[in-house]
Amino acid sequence: MGLRELQDHVHVINQQMARYGVKFGIYKNGSYNERLFPFDPIPRIIEADEFQTLERGLAQRVNALNKFLADIYADKNIIHEGVVPEEFVYRSPGYLAQCEGIRPPKGIYSHISGIDLVKGKNGVWYVLEDNLRIPSGASYPLIARSLCRQCCPQTFRERAIRDNRGYGQALKTIMDHVNCGGINVILTPGRYNSAYFEHSYLAEQSEAVLAESMDLYVENNCVFYRSNHGPVKVGAIYRRLSDDFLDPLCFRPDSLIGVPNLMAAYRAGSVAILNTPGNGVADDKGIYYFVPKMIRYYLGEEPILQNAPTYLPYFKDDLDYTLEHLDDLVIKDVAEAGGYGVVFGSSLPKEKQQALRDKIIEEPRRFISQQVIDFEDLPIMDNERVVGRKADLRAFVLSGEETYVWPCGLTRFSRNPSSFIVNSSQGGGFKDTWVLSH
Amino acid sequence: MKKLSFIFETRNTYSSPVNEHDFLLRCVPQERPEQRIVEMHLDVEPLVTGGNFGVDSFGNRTYTGRLPRGHTAFSYRVQGIAIRDESRRLPCPHPLPVYSYPSTLTRPSETLRRLYESVEATDDDLEQAERFRVAVYEFMTYRAGVTNVQTTAAEAALFRAGVCQDFTHIFLALCRMKHIPARYVSGIPVGEGASHAWAEIWYDGKWHGIDATRNCPADEKYLKFCSGRDFIDCPIEQGVFWGCCTQTQEVYTKLEEITDAGQAG
Repeated sequence: MGLRELQDHVHVINQQMARYGVKFGIYKNGSYNERLFPFDPIPRIIEADEFQTLERGLAQRVNALNKFLADIYADKNIIHEGVVPEEFVYRSPGYLAQCEGIRPPKGIYSHISGIDLVKGKNGVWYVLEDNLRIPSGASYPLIARSLCRQCCPQTFRERAIRDNRGYGQALKTIMDHVNCGGINVILTPGRYNSAYFEHSYLAEQSEAVLAESMDLYVENNCVFYRSNHGPVKVGAIYRRLSDDFLDPLCFRPDSLIGVPNLMAAYRAGSVAILNTPGNGVADDKGIYYFVPKMIRYYLGEEPILQNAPTYLPYFKDDLDYTLEHLDDLVIKDVAEAGGYGVVFGSSLPKEKQQALRDKIIEEPRRFISQQVIDFEDLPIMDNERVVGRKADLRAFVLSGEETYVWPCGLTRFSRNPSSFIVNSSQGGGFKDTWVLSH
Repeated sequence: MKKLSFIFETRNTYSSPVNEHDFLLRCVPQERPEQRIVEMHLDVEPLVTGGNFGVDSFGNRTYTGRLPRGHTAFSYRVQGIAIRDESRRLPCPHPLPVYSYPSTLTRPSETLRRLYESVEATDDDLEQAERFRVAVYEFMTYRAGVTNVQTTAAEAALFRAGVCQDFTHIFLALCRMKHIPARYVSGIPVGEGASHAWAEIWYDGKWHGIDATRNCPADEKYLKFCSGRDFIDCPIEQGVFWGCCTQTQEVYTKLEEITDAGQAG
């Protein structure tokens, strides 16, 4: 009930989103293209008790990941005690030696975490990937929901759907929590960035100032925003540019979109950076394997959410298994992200399989292999027909005084009926995620 | 023990005014038991308001600041007296583990692997590092102008020529292939001229200085400014500014031993 009405309005909703500039960009073969992110009107529905389990599992996972980051950039106990092999940390491109010894305000590293999950046909949720750097996508369901609400207010009155409009305030709360004195800023690379729409939207929702690097400078170990009324001190920066580009005097010297000496100010404790630079070491595909072990190690608890069954060719037994069962496995290059570097063994012709085997033998640490999960199909509208397509869920977890799981999320689906890859960089669309309140 | 007087001077000139100039300097000698700084002055021109001393992740002293207004020159001069005494060096029980892994400028290559294999192996890391030092010295020819600050160890090994930075990177690459913790050091040796680079390897709980360019240990006649995984972590000067100009740089350094009579000798 009410769904029919939403389906009738899908064109209006998509038109409105195009008008607002709800887009994302992809790099392919060196050229950059911007695309609309098609919205599908049929929501993913998560029952209240199912979401409760997800909530507990996600909070547990993010808490452990935060403890891991605090450990890696300080005492490194988890390495000394042999739970995580040293190599997986220090050969990871996400590990930044420039962040050693920095203690972020309130000890929080991953303030905004995007955890990607899929639901198997067996009804079990599996975590596919943790995104602890700058996970994007929260704005899509926010704007989609608000447009749907405008089109079909009745639908939302009649159903017990948890409101998702609190995201902006929750963002404000976690920024305020770590703020070191001054205003909150969302730092964007600029309007040519694929997620610029999201940056401006979230700034509006969280009452933060949207700034580009030229608007900020560091003096006397403090960050200032050049406002119309003169310089204003900045206490927290939710940055939407990657670590490499953040500060040309600390990371890539050729960055033109960073803030020089930001890291010196950060180290001096005058400003909070969300998320903390260097988080990439914890969302590396190789480290993913160890997350359940981290949960046991740091929290002394059993993981509530499962990983997809994963093998690390770094270990001899896992290498042998991977080489033998290539047909049943998906092989991921740990250095790649965004759905790149993902190969289904069964999709390769014989000689390419052999080439992949040789590559794995040569550099076992570079790869993980995973059992292909047969995940459930969600109904989507394909022209006027309803068809089933693979979909995942990015859940957003905000860490402040408490760990908060947003009762919504970004459900992305693949347009291609034979594809399991649902990353937005690879085409596809999204739908709203309704978490029921009872 | 040696008492040393030091001067380090850099003058950058710009052909037209630059502004919004942010900089980070690592020209301040490190303060350590084996290298005590008893006297030091840092002068920066133009005058910096709101400059700050700090320490980076590699333990280096930094001086950061900002020159928002137009200027055609930027110079700094650090001068003082240091006491070098290797016998006072404290153990370092936990060096950053990352010093045993390849870094951007010290990744292995085929040439480096061949060089590595040509060196007779030993279980003693210090002895091994000394053999690497000799091997690098014999393999490379010192020649300026062949390489630049971005040249990797692998590239320099192909040229078989370079400057102290390249010798040091190749030496570090070899040590790390053997998983010996090793780091890059910038500073000045006794004498007059420009800054120098050498390496430190971690052995028996302590860091030991090794100069591959001169094929000798880096002893009390070396004054250390900063260190890191390779050059990228610890340039003596970094900066960004707005402006359209050509830039020239002059560097002058002097380190000399002060004898008991208090005279430079």
